[in-house]
Amino acid sequence: MNRSIGVTLNALGLYGIALVLVAAFAGQILLNELPCPLCLLQRVLFSLLAIGPILNIRLGPRPSHYALSLLAAVVGATVSARQILLHIMPRDPGYGSALLGYHYYTWAFIGFAGAIILISIVLLLDDRQRDDKVATPVGLFAGGAVWLVIGLTAINAVSTLLECGYAACPDNPTFYELLRPIR
Amino acid sequence: MEFTVLFLSVLVVMAVSWWGSRRLALALFSIVLAASVATYLHHATDTLNLSF
Repeated sequence: MNRSIGVTLNALGLYGIALVLVAAFAGQILLNELPCPLCLLQRVLFSLLAIGPILNIRLGPRPSHYALSLLAAVVGATVSARQILLHIMPRDPGYGSALLGYHYYTWAFIGFAGAIILISIVLLLDDRQRDDKVATPVGLFAGGAVWLVIGLTAINAVSTLLECGYAACPDNPTFYELLRPIR
Repeated sequence: MEFTVLFLSVLVVMAVSWWGSRRLALALFSIVLAASVATYLHHATDTLNLSF
C-alpha cells in the first residue's frame, strides 16, 4: 500500500468520524435530546480517534499513529458497552431515541469495534510503512477531512459548555444550563 | 464542565498534531486518553437508578 492510498483511507476514516459526530448533533438539535455524561464521553473518544488519522495525513502512515486510534477505540468501546449494559434489562426504554433500531451508544459500540477491525486490517496490509520525518503537502480531500473533524470538535466543546455550564454535567440533562433565563 | 475541558483538550491535541511536533502530540494524546479513562471511572461509580 503506497502513501497516497494510506492517506486517502485515513481521510475516509476522518469523514466517517465526522459523520458520527454530525449524526449525534442532528439528534441533539432536531430531537432536542441532550447528551448524557457517557454520551459526551463517547463523543470525546470519537474525536480522540481522529488524532491518528490527522498525524497519518500530515506525516505519513505509521504503526504508532494507528496505535493511538486503536487505544482510543478500545476505551470508546468500553464506555459504550458500559452504557449498553446500563439499559440491558427488559422493559428499559434506553436513553434517547433509537436510530434504525439502535440507540446512539449501540451505534457507538459498533463504530468503535468497526474502527478496531478496520485499523487492524490496514496494519495487516501495510507492513512497509514509511517513516517520514517531515510534513508533506496535503490535498483538499484529506485537508478538508481534518478541518471538518477539528470544527466538529470545537462545536462540541461550545455545545457541552452551554449544556453543562461550569458545574458537573447532570446524569439526565433536559435543558441547556447556560441558556436558562436569568431570574 | 469536565467534558468541556476534555473537548478543549482534544482540540489542543488536534492542533498540535496538525501544526506542532509529533512527540508533543503523542504526549498530549496520552494525557487526554488517561483523563478520559479517569472521567469514565468517576462516572462508573455513580449510583444507578434502575428502571424496572
